[in-house]
Amino acid sequence: MTDNGSGATADGSGATADGSGATADGSGATTDDPLLAVEGLRTTFETEAGDLVAVDGIDFTVERGETVCLVGESGSGKTVAVESLTGLIDQPPGRIEGSVRFRGAELTALPPKALRRHRGASIAYVFQNPQDALNHCYTVGWQLIEAIQVHEDVSDAAARARAIDLLDTVGVPDPAGRIDEYPHQFSGGEKQRVMIAMALVTEPDLLVADEPTTALDVTTQAGILQLLDDLKAEYGLGVLFVTHDLATVSQIADRVVVLYAGTVMERGPVVDVFERPAHPYTRALLACLPGRESDLDAVGGAERGGIAGSLPDPTAPPDGCRFAPRCAHAESACSTGDQPPEVAVGDGHRVSCIHYDPGDDPSALPDPTESAAEAERSSVESARQDVIGDE
Amino acid sequence: MSTDTDPNAEADAPRFDRVDWEAYAGGRTGRVSTTTKLFALTVAPIVALAGYDRVAAGERETVFDAFAAATDLPLQAFGLDFAVTAVDYAFAATLLLFVWYLVVPLFQHPRIASHYWRRFKRNRPALVSLAWLFVVFGGGLLGPLVLNAPEQNILAGHQPPVGLTVAEANVPQCVGEVADGRCGGTWEYPLGTTRGGVGVFTGVVYGMTISMKIAFITTTIVAGIGITVGTVSAYAGGWVDEVAMRAVDIVLSFPTLLFFLLVLYVYGAGLGMFIVVFSLFGWGGTARYVRSKALSVSEEEFVKAGRLSGASTRRVVRRHVVPNTASSIITQLTLLIPGFLLAEAQLAFLGLGDSSIASWGQLIAAGRSDLAFAPWIVLAPGIVLFLTILAFNFLGDALLDAVDPEATTEAER
Amino acid sequence: MSDAPLLSVRDLTKHYTTTRGGLFSRETNRIRAVDGVSFDIHPGEALGLVGESGCGKSTTASSVLRLTEPTAGDVIFNGGGRGGAGRNDDGTHPNDVTRFDRNELKAFRRDAQLIFQDPASSFDPRLSVGASIAELPLVHGMTDAERRRAIVEDLLERVGLSADEYDRYPHEFSGGEKQRLALARALVLNPDLLVADEPVSALDVSVQADILRLIDDLRAEFGLSVLFISHDISVVREVCDRTAVMYLGEIVEVGPTEAVFETPQHPYTEALLSAVPTLDPRSSGDHIRLTGSVPSPADPPSGCRFHTRCHRVIQPDGIDLDQSVWRRVLDFRERVVAGEIDSASVRERVRVGEASPGPPAGRSERAAADDTEVGGPDTDDAARVRAAYDLPATFRDPDVDRAVADAVAALLSGDDARAAETLAEAFTTPCADHAPEFTTHSDGHRAACLRHRPDLPGGMGVFDAE
Repeated sequence: MTDNGSGATADGSGATADGSGATADGSGATTDDPLLAVEGLRTTFETEAGDLVAVDGIDFTVERGETVCLVGESGSGKTVAVESLTGLIDQPPGRIEGSVRFRGAELTALPPKALRRHRGASIAYVFQNPQDALNHCYTVGWQLIEAIQVHEDVSDAAARARAIDLLDTVGVPDPAGRIDEYPHQFSGGEKQRVMIAMALVTEPDLLVADEPTTALDVTTQAGILQLLDDLKAEYGLGVLFVTHDLATVSQIADRVVVLYAGTVMERGPVVDVFERPAHPYTRALLACLPGRESDLDAVGGAERGGIAGSLPDPTAPPDGCRFAPRCAHAESACSTGDQPPEVAVGDGHRVSCIHYDPGDDPSALPDPTESAAEAERSSVESARQDVIGDE
Repeated sequence: MSTDTDPNAEADAPRFDRVDWEAYAGGRTGRVSTTTKLFALTVAPIVALAGYDRVAAGERETVFDAFAAATDLPLQAFGLDFAVTAVDYAFAATLLLFVWYLVVPLFQHPRIASHYWRRFKRNRPALVSLAWLFVVFGGGLLGPLVLNAPEQNILAGHQPPVGLTVAEANVPQCVGEVADGRCGGTWEYPLGTTRGGVGVFTGVVYGMTISMKIAFITTTIVAGIGITVGTVSAYAGGWVDEVAMRAVDIVLSFPTLLFFLLVLYVYGAGLGMFIVVFSLFGWGGTARYVRSKALSVSEEEFVKAGRLSGASTRRVVRRHVVPNTASSIITQLTLLIPGFLLAEAQLAFLGLGDSSIASWGQLIAAGRSDLAFAPWIVLAPGIVLFLTILAFNFLGDALLDAVDPEATTEAER
Repeated sequence: MSDAPLLSVRDLTKHYTTTRGGLFSRETNRIRAVDGVSFDIHPGEALGLVGESGCGKSTTASSVLRLTEPTAGDVIFNGGGRGGAGRNDDGTHPNDVTRFDRNELKAFRRDAQLIFQDPASSFDPRLSVGASIAELPLVHGMTDAERRRAIVEDLLERVGLSADEYDRYPHEFSGGEKQRLALARALVLNPDLLVADEPVSALDVSVQADILRLIDDLRAEFGLSVLFISHDISVVREVCDRTAVMYLGEIVEVGPTEAVFETPQHPYTEALLSAVPTLDPRSSGDHIRLTGSVPSPADPPSGCRFHTRCHRVIQPDGIDLDQSVWRRVLDFRERVVAGEIDSASVRERVRVGEASPGPPAGRSERAAADDTEVGGPDTDDAARVRAAYDLPATFRDPDVDRAVADAVAALLSGDDARAAETLAEAFTTPCADHAPEFTTHSDGHRAACLRHRPDLPGGMGVFDAE
């Protein structure tokens, strides 16, 4: 894939330099700033049942040439988090607090129009369902060329040449022949590649990919992940990758942020998080993966076979650790106060769990005691009752 | 699996893996439901009365008079002395249909009913609309029992509504008080009177009855034909589908108004004829909608699960497909009713309606020449008509949101 | 008797014909969704059926259950006390589901049930879940409502829910809970066979494990046989005793799960396995990349259906190229013959190549070629075409090089037909000419790949898993 794209790469990266010069807004950014820095991001929605806290104060950074994975179950707030970054959330009913800095410039302070320009030019999105994102009335080439000409003033021929080039870059076979085909003539994986080509039109610095491979077959998925990895390396892109699939994470991530109920449970370099998971939630998630017992010798047996209970009600999150009601290691102290502060258990590896002190070994999690298991069961029971009582 | 060896206990234990299904095989399951029995029971007297009307009652005699004379029952004492038309029989039967198949099930399943209600009441305009339609419905049903039928009284013509006055020159004889040469309104005619001295308020209330009759009977006919044709077409496929859909094309492109005018000139046209002609040519859209909905519902996994249960196609259609299409056409039907009401009013206004009935359209028509000094004659029924049509539209939207299962998943996401 | 399979599927075929034109319709197209599939499921066994989407695995499931009428083939079901029957004189079988009449089919519904993929749509939104489940006993003659309710309530507890959830409605349940309800509905008639069509692919990973464990427990408790359909082979690995791999309407490999996963004997299985992401973040992610996309089931490739994408496609006598180069040559040939690559698109690619700065090459083979070759505009163009379509600038084998050069020249001169002819003549593979037959590798482990045929060039019975 890298092979046939290399001709385009030289061209593309040259253009990237020009493009970034054009879009940089000179807001006092320094090269030390991370590409994307999110601090205390909190997104709430007004609903009839009260304020729904979808994202509850999360921080993370994405550097150039790095893939950061936001991983969590559905309902963990991962999609809302990335949609909050660049104004894809309507306000109201949504409300976004906290700071999102892109190349040092504060995005949350920007008016919507400027935000959209940023979103278009420097931050590109790839979504889960490529068939929804392509217009079926026009050829793939037409849509690409339109995107190119919106972005820069070039002739039809030049735009077409660049469109073919982009399709080649993303690994669509025979781009010159297929540019005049309609989206329905492309397979699911090829459509996703076209979507990535669309995202690359503006030579972005940050690519946000929200479950881009979930709708695809496993053979196609492997190709798309490889492509994203190659693009990261070639263009120095920062990639923010959102997924619920830990196996995907292990393939593509440099760093991982584990989300649960809108809060960060654990974060760190992918090797650390996978080989020495610290938080009980991370361990349970890893243990859930089917057919992979052999990979999991490091993980204790307590978490095997699913996580009992369900996500807490986002309009009334529990006190203390959000995961405590479902946690096999929960103690009474886990259910008081706020989400525990993150403590470092390795280089860049941090966990939000009261069982750890700074500098602890991530494998130092005590075995769940009988009483803790009992407490877990009863709290699961009461959570169930809540759900039933709600109706 | 089980250590329980007592054969009797095994046979009695309510466990799925201890049931001898062979023993049950061949049992009859297609029994008539209680609701259907009750409906049949309540609708029987109406059918009997209609039959009696046709067979025994004389030309100039109301059915109640004839029945009272034959049986010596003092029916007049209960207020049952009015003439009953075919439209009235149909109206009564339709009302029973709605009660047994729409209202009673909602009470039988309070859980889902309250779920629908919770979602329905989010829509404030629809709540107000529903209240208004209850007023119209109640007024239409009870009004004629309380108020005397509108009567001409030339001397009381052009009386103004309560709180308004009109120049004395325009009034034959002022019922209320005269001050400064202007005649004031009285509570005898709260909304004033027409040129002929008919109370506008009475007219509006009697108009509610007519509107409710139009709404209920047309809905029933349209829904009945539409659901039948649509479902059969979707499920039979092949040439049946083809023929049914071409019939729909014909119905949809048929010049109903011209046909109605033709009928009118040849036979004269009462309310019954209006309802029959317009609803017989009004089901095209509904059938098409039901067909597409039935096709999509039959692709749903729960319909496949129904087939996998071993149930007959008829049962799957009746129990799963029709209820799931019917609830979404409720919306379509509520949006169809305003069309019929408007059509009736328009025909009446043009003088082509049934002049023997007190519909809103007739009232508006009666006031059009006196618009300059007696605008209430047009405005009162006009506003009521407008509000009713608006209410049906709001209601339709809200019902769609409340009962559409797809909206469920959207809203709860 | 105990050896007899519960379900025996032979040459199951389902072709869809797409028609158009309403009343005066004509057959226009024939989609071969399932094309001659055979497998057995023994009592208490779980068989996994894996493949990419569109390979026909779901159609197989619904044909087995006769939710769709199969075009041809036998589905012999010996469950529900039907065992022991032999074939009739005319070759038909009394237990052939495809020939069941109305009553037999209704009885069959008690013995084989299905759970669906999408928990959102698997229950009627207007019925309480209890009523939906209790409908099955009613349909099968149990008119006693109290007893129906008692049975369903007992069953709800067995699948990990509570009895008072009988009166709740589908919208009040989460996806995982609905899948438990679906299991309850499938079990209520005490079937022998459970068909699970992607039962966990719409669920969160944490819920998947729960449901898989529940299926496993119920299977053990009630002696169920399971036909488990999934595109996720790691899920299949978790629950199935045996696994069958499907590609484009055919089974290409079948065997005990461990054997199929540890020593795959078909290149497609290899590719599927290699595509599964491992949990090891240190792994190189070096997957077998399948080229091209799944061909249309309306017009499947000749010979081995996988040969258009196979990374092990056989080279004919007289050609000895690097396997990856051979794959690219064949891809080029396929696309030229199919008309996907024609002179217009080639010229366009050449223009693009001219427009972009720098040499149009990145691969070392190509770079080397560019250094040595000094040519006019024609050779430049030819090199660009080769680069654009992933072909090396030169081949070691002079015959191959000449054929490719001729074809490229023909394309550049606008003679598409000659290019196609040249390539079609020069490059053939036995995989396109011979339909593979099943060969047995170990106990019950069979695969259909021409590499296992010693009589073919390049076959030689060699299949070394890397």
